[in-house]
Amino acid sequence: MGRSWWPQPVTTQASLMASNWLLFLCAGAVVALIIWGLVAFALLRWRRKRGAATTLPAQLRTNIALEITWTLVPLVLVCILFIYTYRAEAGVEALVPYPDVTVAVNAYRWGWSFGYRGGPTVQGSFSDVPQLVLPRNETTRIILTSSDVNHAFWVPAFLFKRDAIPGRITVFDLRPEKDGTYVGHCAEFCGYAHALMGFSVKVVPPADYARWLKSGPS
Amino acid sequence: MTTARATLARQPRADLLSWITTTDHKRIGILYLTTSLVYFGVAGLLALAIRTQLARPANDFVGVHTYAQLFTLHGTAMIFLFVAPFALGLANFLLPLQIGAPDMAFPRLNATSYWMFLFGGLVIFAGAATNEGAAATGWTAYAPLSEIKISTGLGQDLWIVGVFIVSVATILTSINFITTVFVYRAPGMTMWRIPIFAWEMVATSLLIFMAFPALAADLLLLFVDRNFGGHAFDPAYGGSALLWQHLFWFFGHPEVYVMILPYFGVISEIIPVFSRKPIFGYTGIVLAAFAIAGLSMGVWAHHMFTTGAVDDPFFSFMSFLIAVPTGVKFFDWIATMWGGSISFETPMLFALGFLVNFLLGGITGVMIASPPIDFQAHQSYFIVAHMHYVLGGGSLFAIFAALFFWWPKMFGRKLREGLGAWSFWLLFIGFNVTFLPMHFMGLEGMPRRVYTYDATGVLPLLNAIATAGSYLMAIGVLVFLWNVVVSAFDRTPVGDDPWEANSLEWATTSPPPEYNFDRLPPIRSDRPVFDARHPERDPSAVR
Amino acid sequence: MKVGLRLFLSSGAFAIVIAVVYWLLAREPAGTILLGFLAFALSFIAGYMIVAEREADLWGDDAQAKNTEAVGEVVGTYSVRSPLPIVSAAALTCVGLGLVVSPTIAVMGIIAIFALGALFIVQSS
Repeated sequence: MGRSWWPQPVTTQASLMASNWLLFLCAGAVVALIIWGLVAFALLRWRRKRGAATTLPAQLRTNIALEITWTLVPLVLVCILFIYTYRAEAGVEALVPYPDVTVAVNAYRWGWSFGYRGGPTVQGSFSDVPQLVLPRNETTRIILTSSDVNHAFWVPAFLFKRDAIPGRITVFDLRPEKDGTYVGHCAEFCGYAHALMGFSVKVVPPADYARWLKSGPS
Repeated sequence: MTTARATLARQPRADLLSWITTTDHKRIGILYLTTSLVYFGVAGLLALAIRTQLARPANDFVGVHTYAQLFTLHGTAMIFLFVAPFALGLANFLLPLQIGAPDMAFPRLNATSYWMFLFGGLVIFAGAATNEGAAATGWTAYAPLSEIKISTGLGQDLWIVGVFIVSVATILTSINFITTVFVYRAPGMTMWRIPIFAWEMVATSLLIFMAFPALAADLLLLFVDRNFGGHAFDPAYGGSALLWQHLFWFFGHPEVYVMILPYFGVISEIIPVFSRKPIFGYTGIVLAAFAIAGLSMGVWAHHMFTTGAVDDPFFSFMSFLIAVPTGVKFFDWIATMWGGSISFETPMLFALGFLVNFLLGGITGVMIASPPIDFQAHQSYFIVAHMHYVLGGGSLFAIFAALFFWWPKMFGRKLREGLGAWSFWLLFIGFNVTFLPMHFMGLEGMPRRVYTYDATGVLPLLNAIATAGSYLMAIGVLVFLWNVVVSAFDRTPVGDDPWEANSLEWATTSPPPEYNFDRLPPIRSDRPVFDARHPERDPSAVR
Repeated sequence: MKVGLRLFLSSGAFAIVIAVVYWLLAREPAGTILLGFLAFALSFIAGYMIVAEREADLWGDDAQAKNTEAVGEVVGTYSVRSPLPIVSAAALTCVGLGLVVSPTIAVMGIIAIFALGALFIVQSS
């Protein structure tokens, strides 16, 4: 519960998204409780009682002040939510001028290739799931594309996905903060083996990363 | 009921030929409703197959090829052949009655639309009989996946042709609706006196002919790509893979409102009747419908946040704004019940189920309109949960509410109340057991459109619960069918107005005669039947 | 029909505003063109309604109209039955199906549509 139903965020960007989620979760819960509460109250208070005299209730049709209120209050609420969303997204999408690591990711039916700048290219399909190795506390630039149909690069622990679209190059930064191995999926339906088109991400200390890059993938 | 007996004698011949050649809006409406419910049955069976496959990880109930066809046909049928056409069928039956017209503006065009809808659906399903099977690219058929290089089967072409025919039929119907409401209202039935359902259908029709041409264009481009060597969506030849998504969602998001606005109308008709009060904030609800219709034309790319190629803040803000008019409707419905005299007949039960479920779908809708949340939720089971809360918990519950509410008007007899309550509770509990866990599946990292999933962690448990819930829903639908069968043998006449309702369709006999009205009550407010029942009240006090 | 005209005028104006705002913010051609078409189509209908408006005199717009005023008025001619709808829908489906399956079916569909059109003209004249 402490993580409010989301995977524990493991990147700097993911922390921004997690706090944005928490805001929306709380706002949504409050709105839901108020409205469900009003419905429940109305049903209990004004249910037709058996055998009660059948007088017509007051035929109230409109109340302009009330109607303006319940238009303006939600309007203000969504504007506030938008401001927070806008800030969070700007943080997530921000690109550092000089990333520490750059990886070219290519998605294809049905596998991934990870090409490290100044290093090896790791490739693997669904029968031999490839691993993306990233250094901890350093910024990795991902350059994403696809060579056939739309795919999407999704690491649930990073709380982030981005589409790999043929003929387009998409760029984003990741800054992992916790060591560990995380599951990745293709998130855009791309044909029959879509469900198996996974990969894994291994976040290691920078020194280990440098050693790995030199010795090549095992 | 002397009038009812008099009408029975005038019923036209009921043989097959008279149904095939009919241009009577009521018969076309019933044909539409029946056909869409049959498609619902088929799509529901497909859904059960999907849930059975997903009951446990690495299940082999169906193969991967079949699975992709299952979810494609399930989505296509539910969206193009059930939820939207059911609303068209309902409006076909109701609109002329509600505004006091003898028929639709263009009866033969109306019948043509129906037959195109029927045939288009059959063409889509015909794909299942081809060698490579039906279309298997999802109901969104994203190019380049749906291009001939990848999806070589005939099923994809049949899907394109079928959906195209259905979309043209829908556009024709929308023109028919708008013309009917604008031109054929009875004396005294000004635009500000038509029932909310009629208003919502005007907004829906406006949306249809704003949005569906984009779909038709998209399908045409894909068809040319596949069959005549075009390259519109092929980046290798200078095409754009994103163009499909722009055109598709320019249609696809308004389509969501095409599938929900009519049911807002249904709810706005039912809640006042069972609260014994007029609808609260008539003008506000109507303006909210058009605010939703207008705003929904500017939100399409919130389905494309994760492409990184659209203006996220613009689409995010526009999507947030839609929550405001939707909220207005919610408050108006609550205010309608407030201080009323509320009874819980089956239509009201389903309407209340709509309120409970749809609210959750609306709230998750605001969540995923925030790009930083959508980056996690997009194309995951969270989205599946969200859209089923809108279209299943929302529209489907309103559909059952409408069936129970207008059944007496259509067939002259009521569905049984006891069985109705049973099917409501089975569907309500089954629905929430099926779809509530899907939110958590998505957040845990389960992508949609997968035939298997991670065997460790919470996913197997959540999926088993969801599958159990889907069977419960199926039992609820079976109880409804049983209700239809047993109530067919009821011979008790229900009278013109069994619910003590408000709008004009309750002024005529059940079922109505061929030209709808023997005589009209004077129309001096938006509740002519209420006014006739309460002559002591002065209708001129309201508009 | 003031309400209907107002509806299309305001929708058209809204579409124009959205198209311009969208172009200024997003600079994205596909959506701008779509919104532009939308604005054009809605304005076109509004324009048509302004012209048609002059002729229209609908009792449905008169809040005080009595039902007796409609007695004897011709509301339009309605054919209760017609074989045209199902046959023309089948012909259209044949054209689509034929493009996929076999050109012969498509040609038959096209011939059927022309035949139905001729029949329709003969019937209604």
